[in-house]
Amino acid sequence: MNAPAIPALITQRKDLIQKFAALGSLLCLTIAFSLFSNAFFSVGNAMTIALQVTSIAYLGIGATCVIITGGIDLSVGAILALSGVVAAMAVKAGAPVPVGMLGGLLVGALCGAVNGLCVTLLKLPPFIATLGMMLVARGVALQITDAKAIGGLGDSFAELGNGSLFRVVKMGADGFPDVLFIGIPYPVLLMALVAVAVSLLLNRATLGRHLYAVGSNTEAARLSGVNVGGVTLFAYVLSGTLAGLTGCVLMSRLVTAQPSEGLMYELDAIAAAVIGGTSLSGGVGTISGTVIGAFVIGILRNGLNMGGVSAFIQQIVIGLVILLTVWIDQIRHRR
Amino acid sequence: MPSAPPLIVHDATAKSPQAHGDAPSVVGQGATAEGAPLLTLAGLTKRFPGVLALDGVGFDLRRGEVHAVCGENGAGKSTLMKILSGLYQPDEGVILHKGQQRRFATPLEAQAAGIAMIHQELNLVPHLSVAENIYLAREPRKGWFVDRERLRTDAQRCLDRLGVAISPAATVSSLSVAQQQMVEIAKALSLEAEVLIMDEPTSSLTESETQQLFRVIHELRAAGVGIIYISHRLDEMVGIVDRVTVLRDGRHIFTGDFANTTIDEIVVHMVGRSLEDKFPPRCSTPTEDVLLSVEGLRRDGVFGPVSFTLRRGEILGFAGLMGAGRTEVARAVFGADRHDAGTVSLGGEVLRIHSPIDAIRQGIAYVSEDRKAQGLAVKMPVAHNITMTNMRAVSGRFGFIRFDQETQVAQQYIDRLDIRTPSTHQVARLLSGGNQQKVVISKWLFRESKVIFFDEPTRGIDVGAKYAIYQLMDELASKGIGIVMISSELPAILGLTDRVAVFHEGKLTATLETRRTSQEEIMHYASGRTSTAV
Repeated sequence: MNAPAIPALITQRKDLIQKFAALGSLLCLTIAFSLFSNAFFSVGNAMTIALQVTSIAYLGIGATCVIITGGIDLSVGAILALSGVVAAMAVKAGAPVPVGMLGGLLVGALCGAVNGLCVTLLKLPPFIATLGMMLVARGVALQITDAKAIGGLGDSFAELGNGSLFRVVKMGADGFPDVLFIGIPYPVLLMALVAVAVSLLLNRATLGRHLYAVGSNTEAARLSGVNVGGVTLFAYVLSGTLAGLTGCVLMSRLVTAQPSEGLMYELDAIAAAVIGGTSLSGGVGTISGTVIGAFVIGILRNGLNMGGVSAFIQQIVIGLVILLTVWIDQIRHRR
Repeated sequence: MPSAPPLIVHDATAKSPQAHGDAPSVVGQGATAEGAPLLTLAGLTKRFPGVLALDGVGFDLRRGEVHAVCGENGAGKSTLMKILSGLYQPDEGVILHKGQQRRFATPLEAQAAGIAMIHQELNLVPHLSVAENIYLAREPRKGWFVDRERLRTDAQRCLDRLGVAISPAATVSSLSVAQQQMVEIAKALSLEAEVLIMDEPTSSLTESETQQLFRVIHELRAAGVGIIYISHRLDEMVGIVDRVTVLRDGRHIFTGDFANTTIDEIVVHMVGRSLEDKFPPRCSTPTEDVLLSVEGLRRDGVFGPVSFTLRRGEILGFAGLMGAGRTEVARAVFGADRHDAGTVSLGGEVLRIHSPIDAIRQGIAYVSEDRKAQGLAVKMPVAHNITMTNMRAVSGRFGFIRFDQETQVAQQYIDRLDIRTPSTHQVARLLSGGNQQKVVISKWLFRESKVIFFDEPTRGIDVGAKYAIYQLMDELASKGIGIVMISSELPAILGLTDRVAVFHEGKLTATLETRRTSQEEIMHYASGRTSTAV
């Protein structure tokens, strides 16, 4: 007789169901939208979606790490605006594009570090610490730009957001270029890279294991010799840095730096993580889940757009999807 | 602890005009005018997986009586009280309430029958006023709104009945613990409670606050309320308790008039001779080598100064009552809590320990008391919990975890400690208590420490798992590891340790050779009676 074996089986099954629930809904959405619109199921549109999803995915990956430790980061939308604006201003002031963007990343990391220190040293609740940062970063971004967009950044600034790898273009006989393969946009490539790297970190590295330990039981982690403060700080710095990256990529894509860019993006990021099975109570979450979650949101938006559904209805649908998935998560934890 | 017991005249009627004339106040007399006792418990049995928490316990509570229930930790007091207050259902046995058989499915049902419990951790809402707390969820209404005037006057009447000077408008968080307790009692009275269960009511009260509580208890008794009084402080019971019941290992051992029983007798009943605890023979003998030396360790207001030594291969017991400071001392040595003064040296070298990270690096481990809160990452797999303290040992190049090695390590401990789990990747939460404890212990074995503190290592786990853990401790000691075992189970202390350090209210009152001591002697030092003829 082995009593614990039975709940164990159920657990594993339920975890699978959760994974499949997200992936399955992704497939269902794809099929449904493909039936309604021919334009939806095409390589071109797939790349468009992937490109649109990148912002949510970068931020969602950061959010996942923070949420795994039992925290929350509300400041990423504002940080991405500040980082993008700083990068653009640096380029405007004559810095080479890579240096300017590195500056943007550093600003993101710094904001993340301040978040982390507020949580670990000042013992502020993460919600409050990052809410403060959200206001401060947005305010600084608006102040230093006079709330004006920064344009005229040049082609090299646009490269990161608009360039792509393996783009095949043939000059047509009529003198117009003919795009045979639109290529893999750099932001999509970067998303894959970040996802794989953070996934490796979470699953294979000691630091990642400690992130889960802190979120699962902070006191047990501390008594096991885990540097709880350091681990928590890392999560916020990572989230801030990824917000900085998002800012650079987004502003590059638009070739304009908007201090009001990225409003409410933090909520998309958290939604992506939650749809992907990350538990807001900490200790549970995967990058693959979050990327799936980001795609669910992206495909919903894209598909509904193509179907001519108004932006308001889109909000309603996405809101309902979030409620549904979190409800499923609750059921999973109630057993 | 004050040695002089509170001397209170039994006649409290002069002070309590509301006392009913029919309230019997004669110690140890029979049932009430109505015949049946307030409560009669018979054959109460409660089983938990692997543990028989209560085994046929029965006694009765009369009107206007203060009935003490004593027993060591784990004797079954809490389980019994939880059954009475409707939190648990007994597996067997009956509760007769005024002669009628009752079953309380929920605390609300018990409350409706007039049974109220004052918990050790008070259940008040700190940000609400006294009056709002007393009438929480049954506020007097005026239409849609709370009738604030009546709320205040009703609450005032309750407080007046107790004769305490607390304003009904005061916010609960601004009150002292003693005052909050009075509010709890007032709340119970407002529910027309006839049976009041008090769990360690004096544990956080000062001497004068205790006196005030006793005055209130006297008045309640005079008013015919039956009080079940749970306490570790036997000395304190003189002059307040009418009868005493002793539980041990879930069984009813003794009930008698307090006046005809000496405290020593009660202690003997409490410790008794446990038949269920078996201990493996000690294979090892401690060396003379001092391994760990703690000197003058102190944390203001919590414990100390405390000094003790631990030899290589020795098992040192920390005995004492709950709250005596044993855990606090261990946690301070381990760096989990700060200390204000004192030194810790290991192998003659003074250590600077500011956090568990420092302690672990030096080879000190602490198996925590509350495994769910402090020991286990419950959402993580067994394997991840086991390797948590020593990730480097299962990591390869670039700090990447080697899963094959990790699984192998986990499997090794699962086999060695006989951890019942379907796989190394089972989520720790789904294991039974004993197996969870073995996972926590594995975690520290994998770290290969020189000194291990075991804080209540066998609490809440079954006899078989207990034996395995004792055996393991002996095995570790034979390898030269120094072990400190904090335990409230005296048989375990006597059966396993080489020496016993006895704590009382933050101070080390005695260090005894286990071979030359007895449960009675330990209990005497643990209750703070430094000079005793045993």
